[in-house]
Amino acid sequence: MATVGSSGLGKSTFINTLFSTLLKDYKQQPKRVHDQIERTVSIDVVRADIEEKGFNVRLTVIDTPGFGDYMNNQDCWVPIVEFLDEQHLTYMKAEQSHKRLEADDLRVHACLYFIQPSGHTLTSLDIEVMKQLGTRVNLIPVIAKGDTLTKEDMKAFKNRVLDCINAHGINMYTPPLDGDDDDDTHAIIEAMPFSIIASDNEVTVNGQKVRGREYLWGVAEVENEQHCDFKKLRNLLIRTNMYDLISNTEENHYEDYRMKRLTASGLSDDDPVRNAQKNMSAKMKEDEEALRKRFTEQVRLEEARFRKWEQNLIAERDRLNKDLEEHHKMVKDLENDVEELQAANR
Amino acid sequence: MEEDGTKLSLTIIDTPGFGDNINNEGSFSEILKYIEAQYDEILAQESRIKRNPKFQDNRVHVVLYFIQPTGHALREMDIEFMRRLSPRVNLIPVIAKADSMTPSELALFKQRIMDDINFFKIPIYDFPIDPEEDDEDTKEENDALRKLLPFSVIGSETEVKVGGRVVRCRQYPWGIVEVDNDKHCDFSKLRYILLSSHLQDLKEITHDILYEQFRTERLSQEANG
Repeated sequence: MATVGSSGLGKSTFINTLFSTLLKDYKQQPKRVHDQIERTVSIDVVRADIEEKGFNVRLTVIDTPGFGDYMNNQDCWVPIVEFLDEQHLTYMKAEQSHKRLEADDLRVHACLYFIQPSGHTLTSLDIEVMKQLGTRVNLIPVIAKGDTLTKEDMKAFKNRVLDCINAHGINMYTPPLDGDDDDDTHAIIEAMPFSIIASDNEVTVNGQKVRGREYLWGVAEVENEQHCDFKKLRNLLIRTNMYDLISNTEENHYEDYRMKRLTASGLSDDDPVRNAQKNMSAKMKEDEEALRKRFTEQVRLEEARFRKWEQNLIAERDRLNKDLEEHHKMVKDLENDVEELQAANR
Repeated sequence: MEEDGTKLSLTIIDTPGFGDNINNEGSFSEILKYIEAQYDEILAQESRIKRNPKFQDNRVHVVLYFIQPTGHALREMDIEFMRRLSPRVNLIPVIAKADSMTPSELALFKQRIMDDINFFKIPIYDFPIDPEEDDEDTKEENDALRKLLPFSVIGSETEVKVGGRVVRCRQYPWGIVEVDNDKHCDFSKLRYILLSSHLQDLKEITHDILYEQFRTERLSQEANG
């Protein structure tokens, strides 16, 4: 799972809230020793093994510090896009190699794009990045810091964002509908893009301990569906649609990438090189057959030899047994003679 | 408009589109140009042989720079902008949408911003004290205000009845944030500063210090070039 967005939007907090553990350290305030000359976007990978209701989940969280932070954010999405492609490539290479080990699958199955709650609409950076991401990975846009907008503002903002997404043809992930009476999935789809509030602090509200942000005027609760869509998003990611996210990545995004990549490198299904390869493999098959035949022959010969040997041994044993019997008989006769003689003496 | 019995003529200049682009390096030149253009006009007027007494002073006396409530620190753009503009105009940094931060987060954020401002030596309007002219009260007041920098603001035009009074506020499912409540944000203090207590000071500084600085630079530029 990847989280992409400008700094200060609560990505690290969200990850910690989602898994109720401190997976990510918060951004360390850089010592202002020098100006920010390096305009880099780095990729942070955190691996964790989580147990959720008895299931073990190997989770990889990819964070993108530095994104959108600078004055000139041109091409800041390039490191991220390259990273995504690289994972597909690594997997593709592993698939093609003859050693099909369970390659470390670092492919991203879901990418959460954090939108700033400006209340207006998407920025040009948002649009550009989401366009790039949507074709490579399951893109789930989320509205960060959902406690900044009132209910009406949030509704209007969500609609505007959706309009923007549709207008620009951004490929957003939607969970599949299993038939018309799937109310939960309907609710989830209607709530997209999700507004989230993240907090790893616990606050007491009405006698209950909940996770939330405590203000002077009230507590914004993370898991309260009236306050934000965190629960819906969590369900989508971990519970209900995890399988769909993974299979969608494998079937659609990965296959798309693979196709693009292979056609780009000049291969096609009617390629002469490919055909030559096919012929080569046919010949290899013949050789393999011949080898196998020879091998079987050898084995048979050896087996025949062993059998003969076995038979000799059995014959030997029989003979020896017979000798033994004869001797036994002789002994017995002698014993009988001894008895008779003893009886005659008395 | 009228404020505290005095008539004020107020001009508000907004800058939509600032910082919205992917590449924002050209953003503040527009704003800087506008400010300097006003100074240029005054300079031109002063230099006339026959001066126009009814000339309208369009100089910008204060700039409120709205900082995004990220909770971390100043971004590159914030620092650049403030650096370029504060030599020309009174700059007051303001934390926008302050209702997205809890009180502790807000305090920490303010601290970090001031650390950044001091580190980069950005000359913001920090309620300077004139040791000769001002009395103890003013000194105390200014000191207290300085500690509150940058001011946190929450804006709302919706009025709602809360406990018998009608207040401007933002309504959330978990509570109501009042704009004019000092405990919720520094809006009312800022308003008082801008429109009453420090209005004169801001104008004086603009005219006596900033404009003079500009004038000197401009004239020496022309003399050399």
